Amino acid sequence: MGGGLSGWRSLKRAGVLGINARNRDFVMRYNPRSKYPLVDDKLTTKRLAVDAGLAVPDLYGAVHFQGELTRLGRMLDGLDSFVIKPAHGSGGDGVLVITERRRGLFVKGDGRALSLRDIEYFVSNILSGVHSLGGIPDAAMIEYRVRPSRLFEAISYRGVPDIRLLIFRGVPTMAMVRLPTRSSDGKANLHQGAVGVGIALSTGVTGHGVMHDGVVADHPDFGSPLAGHVIPDWEALLAIGARCADLTDLGYCGVDLVLDDERGPMMLEINARPGLAIQIANQCGLEQRLEAIAAMNNLPAEIDERVALARGLDAASAPPLSGAATTGSVDEGVAPAVNGAEAPRATATRPPSAG
Amino acid sequence: MAFFARLSPLAVIALLLAGAGLGLTLLKATYYQVPLLPELTTTVWSAEARIGFNGEGGSSKVEFLLPPPVSMTRAIDENFVSRGYGLAILDANGDPREATWTLRRSPKSKQALYYQVKVAGDKVVTDASVPPFPPVPDYREPLGSAIQAVLTRAREQSADVFSFTEQTLLILADSDDENVKVIRNVNDRPSWEHLVAEILAGARIPARIAYGLPLDRPQVDTRLIPWLEVHNGDSWRGYDTATGTPGYPPGFFIWRYDSPDLLSARGVRNIDLSFSTTQTRVPQMEVAELTGAAFRVQPFGLDLTRLPVSVQNLYQVALMLPLGALVVAFMRVVVGVPTFGTFMPILIALAFRETQLGWGLALFLTLVFVGLSLRLMLAQLRLLLVPRLAAILVVVICLMLAITLLSYRLGLEQGLSIALFPMVILTMTIERMSIVWEERGSGETAKETLGTLLVAICGYYVMNEPHLSHLMFYFPELLLLVLATTLLLGAYSGYRLTELVRFSALARTR
Repeated sequence: MGGGLSGWRSLKRAGVLGINARNRDFVMRYNPRSKYPLVDDKLTTKRLAVDAGLAVPDLYGAVHFQGELTRLGRMLDGLDSFVIKPAHGSGGDGVLVITERRRGLFVKGDGRALSLRDIEYFVSNILSGVHSLGGIPDAAMIEYRVRPSRLFEAISYRGVPDIRLLIFRGVPTMAMVRLPTRSSDGKANLHQGAVGVGIALSTGVTGHGVMHDGVVADHPDFGSPLAGHVIPDWEALLAIGARCADLTDLGYCGVDLVLDDERGPMMLEINARPGLAIQIANQCGLEQRLEAIAAMNNLPAEIDERVALARGLDAASAPPLSGAATTGSVDEGVAPAVNGAEAPRATATRPPSAG
Repeated sequence: MAFFARLSPLAVIALLLAGAGLGLTLLKATYYQVPLLPELTTTVWSAEARIGFNGEGGSSKVEFLLPPPVSMTRAIDENFVSRGYGLAILDANGDPREATWTLRRSPKSKQALYYQVKVAGDKVVTDASVPPFPPVPDYREPLGSAIQAVLTRAREQSADVFSFTEQTLLILADSDDENVKVIRNVNDRPSWEHLVAEILAGARIPARIAYGLPLDRPQVDTRLIPWLEVHNGDSWRGYDTATGTPGYPPGFFIWRYDSPDLLSARGVRNIDLSFSTTQTRVPQMEVAELTGAAFRVQPFGLDLTRLPVSVQNLYQVALMLPLGALVVAFMRVVVGVPTFGTFMPILIALAFRETQLGWGLALFLTLVFVGLSLRLMLAQLRLLLVPRLAAILVVVICLMLAITLLSYRLGLEQGLSIALFPMVILTMTIERMSIVWEERGSGETAKETLGTLLVAICGYYVMNEPHLSHLMFYFPELLLLVLATTLLLGAYSGYRLTELVRFSALARTR
């Protein structure tokens, strides 16, 4: 337990970034307020990405007004599986995943069936602004349901794992993959109980996980080890992340990618106030990396060079190798130290996205 | 200057604001004597003049000289007890005022009229007017020779008016001296002080007699005592004629110069004037308000006590809100307590102010618990958001009404104060709670509710602290200090205390 001044000092020594420092030194300094609407409205983000030729889940339709609800049934016609979510949602709240249709009913990811009326009520709530930041009226978007890549089958409970890349000044800075669990209801949201697993930027190999702010080594539902999985096409993913960040002009943002089984990597959303649990997942503070990038005067303009720079920085700053964490082929200094594996699961904090 | 150059602009602004706020406050506290603490008390003396007489059956009139304006600057209050007599106060500009009591048919029994003045502080003030040099009196022999001898001796041993006066008084105090014996034999003067003044006039030194009351111990049925004052061309100074030491009796309150006659009367018999003094301790604040001295000439001072009472009451509360906001900012930014909404805790704390903490907590929890249960039931009905909020509002008000009526029946007065809870805010809270409940579970809801209550309780204790509300009301300049603190809080980029726990898995003890 880190309490009091000694806890403070050891966090400082580990270079942990706090919410206040994130907000003041990075979010406020590098993210111009005028660019927020680009990422706060997922419809806008999607349009931007499509214009730039980036892959995103197809948009089947959007509902803006309560009056349009009568058309919902027709809109869903012919769709066996889809996702409904609020355009202004935060932290993955208010996402409804329908995986199949059975006898006129819509079956959710967890197997429960919903009628069309249930879905209309759900959409109506979204439109009223229940899930949006500040309760302003919202739009609901109906889009392609991503088929999870087989890659994560062993460490993901239903749902679709997503990959969070933290991009600072266009340079990928830290990465993790968020795995749904039974307690997160198949959603890839850390504050709902999903597991975040750190990914070494230089190699694309997973390390240890974080669940409810505590470090875990195995998936809570399957018991399978979280470390040592290699993410394919890692370099390409990093490049997509960097391009997404370029689209929005946000200096400090989190890009969420998913790996579709058929269509490959897609961009889900961009977050202007990315959470800080990524540090726990990677067993590494953000401060040093961010400061190193902040200190650079001319960052490379080419995406490839930036990705290379990111991987180089990671290889240089990764903590010393600790044997316990490695399985499979791992480069030098990739696996995170597991010195905190027995740390208690702290729950007294706000969800990361709400700072 | 190098120190300031290294500070960020924000720190400079904060320092300036804090400096200005504290500076004005200290100025007000020290120079204008507005007490910093509400419980500070000060001694107030009441001097009471009693005019006793017998009526003659016919019309009667009693005129009484009140203390001179210069003495009244020490007074914080005065009152007259007239018992059926008509009272008129003649306010002669610059001169002492005169009170006139009249009665058409005064009974033949004993009558008494009273005048009471309350005096704060023990600093003696005396009329500062510059007198002319007196002519040398025409003494009769052998008094003249004795006086001349005394004055000559005193002149040899002194340098200026005051030391001359002291020497004269010292010589006059020596009763073995032949000249002094001659002088002391004279007893046709109103007082020894008058004679001393006459002697000093022989050296052309202006002197006068101040009649007043010493305010050092309570006295009953006493008279004004004469006191010698000497002018050296610049200022008056009192002298104890018995010892020759300069100064006045403690707290000397001067009523009249040169003559003890304060009364003139018509149509009464056996008129008699006596004084008594008592002391009481009263809050400094009362004195400051009564004299208005605290707020008299403050170039930058804010004086809220001059506002209408209803507005004052408003500001009593409004000025505490920034402190509540400061508490919320601190709890969220430095401690990291999760709360429902930003200012919800302050509004709850304000309601607690009216209901008392225990009752407030009980009522709040009841309302929220019942409201939340009903809200979760309403969820089944699938209502649209705004009508649903309206429905919850109606339910909340019904609940309040029920609690009020119930506690009225049971005779519980505190239950009535539930109406003071901010209803709309409560409604929004219940709605937000229910959404957190549905999406993040009961644990998160309980956590945020506890956080909100914790901050509200802290805010309640801060906003209900009488010392703080005294400070904020009488020194609104402290708002600048609060502003400076909030600016600094806004620039805080250190860890939140809860983050020390959250990130403890990352703590390194290298």
